[in-house]
Amino acid sequence: MKLPRRRVVKAAVAAGLVAAGGVVAVVRTRGYEAPGRALVAVSPWQYAVLQHVARRFCAPDRDGVPDADAIDVAGFCDRWIAEMSPVTRKDLLGLLGYVEHVLPVTCGLGRRFTALPVEAQDRALSALERSSVDLLRGGFQGLKALIFLGYYRDPRTWSIAGYDGPLVRRPARGWWP
Amino acid sequence: MTVTRGRDVAGALRLDVDAVVVGTGAGGAAMLRELARAGLSCAALEEGGHHAPVDFTQREDEMFPLLFQEGGGRATSDLAIRVLQGRGVGGSTVHNTNLCKRTPPEILDLWARRHHVTGMGVRDLEPAFRTIEQDLSVSQIPDGQVNPNNEALRRGATALGWKNAALSHNRVGCQASGFCELGCAYDAKQNAVKVLIPQAVAAGARVFSDAKVDRVTTSNGRATGVAGHLLDDRGRPKAALDVRAKVVVLSASAVGSAWLARRSGLPDPHAQAGRSLRMHPGAVVAGRFRDPVHGHKGIPQSWECTEWLSFEEGSPRRTWIVPAFAHPIGTASTLPGFGRDHMARMRDYNRLAVLTAMLHDETSGVVEAEDTRPVLHYRMIEDDRAALARGLVACARILFAAGAIEVTFPAIPPVTVRSARELDALDTSFVRPHGTPLSAVHPMGTLRMGDDPRTSVVSSRGEHHQVKGLFVADGSLFPTSLGGPPQISIYAFALHLAKHVIASARG
Ligand SMILES: Cc1cc2nc3c(=O)[nH]c(=O)nc-3n(C[C@H](O)[C@H](O)[C@H](O)COP(=O)(O)OP(=O)(O)OC[C@H]3O[C@@H](n4cnc5c(N)ncnc54)[C@H](O)[C@@H]3O)c2cc1C
Ligand code: SF4
Repeated sequence: MKLPRRRVVKAAVAAGLVAAGGVVAVVRTRGYEAPGRALVAVSPWQYAVLQHVARRFCAPDRDGVPDADAIDVAGFCDRWIAEMSPVTRKDLLGLLGYVEHVLPVTCGLGRRFTALPVEAQDRALSALERSSVDLLRGGFQGLKALIFLGYYRDPRTWSIAGYDGPLVRRPARGWWP
Repeated sequence: MTVTRGRDVAGALRLDVDAVVVGTGAGGAAMLRELARAGLSCAALEEGGHHAPVDFTQREDEMFPLLFQEGGGRATSDLAIRVLQGRGVGGSTVHNTNLCKRTPPEILDLWARRHHVTGMGVRDLEPAFRTIEQDLSVSQIPDGQVNPNNEALRRGATALGWKNAALSHNRVGCQASGFCELGCAYDAKQNAVKVLIPQAVAAGARVFSDAKVDRVTTSNGRATGVAGHLLDDRGRPKAALDVRAKVVVLSASAVGSAWLARRSGLPDPHAQAGRSLRMHPGAVVAGRFRDPVHGHKGIPQSWECTEWLSFEEGSPRRTWIVPAFAHPIGTASTLPGFGRDHMARMRDYNRLAVLTAMLHDETSGVVEAEDTRPVLHYRMIEDDRAALARGLVACARILFAAGAIEVTFPAIPPVTVRSARELDALDTSFVRPHGTPLSAVHPMGTLRMGDDPRTSVVSSRGEHHQVKGLFVADGSLFPTSLGGPPQISIYAFALHLAKHVIASARG
């Protein structure tokens, strides 16, 4: 029998918990800063996870490069997630819960993801990228695609790649700031 | 041309026609035109919107949700393979890269020998191929329009003594902007929406966008029409859709038509519907050059290498090699890793030449119908994995032969090679689902044709074995993978099969 995708994700998450020594991570929804904006699809804690993951994924390699907060990657993701099909949205939000509460445990890190120092966050995300659970690797790729969509959509990031942007509606001075 | 936007229709839509076509991509548009020209009253229903060149902003973040199924996020159920398909009037022909090749004769021969397909030989199909190539202005891409990424493929393959050639396309007035996969703002694509749909409308067909079919209706073993919903501007159901017709044609793509067939609970005594999904899954290899390549500029694909492509079943050489350059978002999602290292790789964007090996696959996947959407199961078999790995190593050899100073396989973790000699001892076990990003743009083969109902869903005339008056005209028809770009085959098969649909509608 083939398991529907959602059930497989849940099974994988559960397997992660068992592997971590039976620690049951209770999804906490308190103790997160209010995002200071109206959210359309995610809750404040999910927004915080998106923000922290985006900061790590889009960490600038040199001075003068806009970071994920400057580009408002998490805000973009919130709006994008609102337009996803309910099934995909549920999978993605489940993955955010996994990243926040289970992933650190499976990596032997004591705190939830958003409370970890950046080096530990990088370790946790690398572990997710290389997870032995294929579906979690797939989830990582999906999350990466979403975050980079939010980042590289913005003309302020295009000079990183030396990309001169669309020809239509191109401003006279070009797209770069 | 008039396309009625379902989102603008007040109330429910009820029609009574001779023929209804579901989907307006390559197969649907070609079939619709033929039916209208034959004098049948006909309608086409398209779940996506109707967009004009002025809507194509050349921005990935805006075009993915506008033009692609599931906003470009469709994937196999294990999330290993991203599956790109179109959604909107014109289907996948709106954002495809316009390569045109006829069905390989070896494949037509295989279908006749092994899959009980009759009347679909090279000579039978010649008139349909000729017609569609004329209609879509198919021509060889001129030498002056081969961009540096394609030039690298030509140079490398030639240096290695491997078979390579210029490709043909259906563009007229191309500005070589490089944005084909995001729709053509210059209206240079001679595709379903530009050429065939207007001809169908001129011949009397009615076309509705934002009209999603949920099921085929039948009575006493005969198709009687379709039912579904009109959608609002955010794609949400807003009113009922009910079309009664003498014949129904499924042209909703190999995924969409299989979803409809399964969801409608059509008789399927041999459990064939949705099976045999093929999709030419592919991965990319990036070569870094000393001088700028600017791979995103110019016609994206104009050259091919067929040295590693054999149509023999079970051949170890089963990949078609073509360039595959993406815009920044697509590139960022594919390049390995994240953070500072990833950004440093992005800085090489203009110095990269990127090739893809597309697998002529023998893996058999399945499309299932879950709630409101299709679910794609596809577990790549070892022979396919190994053939893909060989193709990717061949891409790397081409890149080195063309002058790359370094070649990266975007595996997890990344594999970077600095000389062709290193490739001899390369462990390619990273080439596997979840080991390297895979994507597929050619789903096919889920309602396959053949005259044996135990191994096929429709006959060689395109008619469902169990449901009279129900036809298929899209990529679902292929009994096996094609090993090359499918659009010309799909267009031509629809033209070729139209006579059977017309005869059925006339009773
Ligand atoms: C990025 C990309 C590049 C490509 N490049 C090439 C190329 O260079 N050369 C080539 O030969 N091929 C190319 N292809 C593939 C080619 O475009 C497709 O194989 C071909 O268009 C498929 O034709 P089709 O009729 O089967 O389906 P499609 O063209 O996909 O059309 C199906 C239509 O049905 C609609 N539909 C689905 N379900 C429903 C429903 N329930 N109700 C109503 N409507 C529905 C869809 O919205 C869609 O518009 C490319 C594809 C992609 C994604
Ligand atoms: S390369 Fe040609 S066909 Fe493609 S988008 Fe640009 S102008 Fe249109």
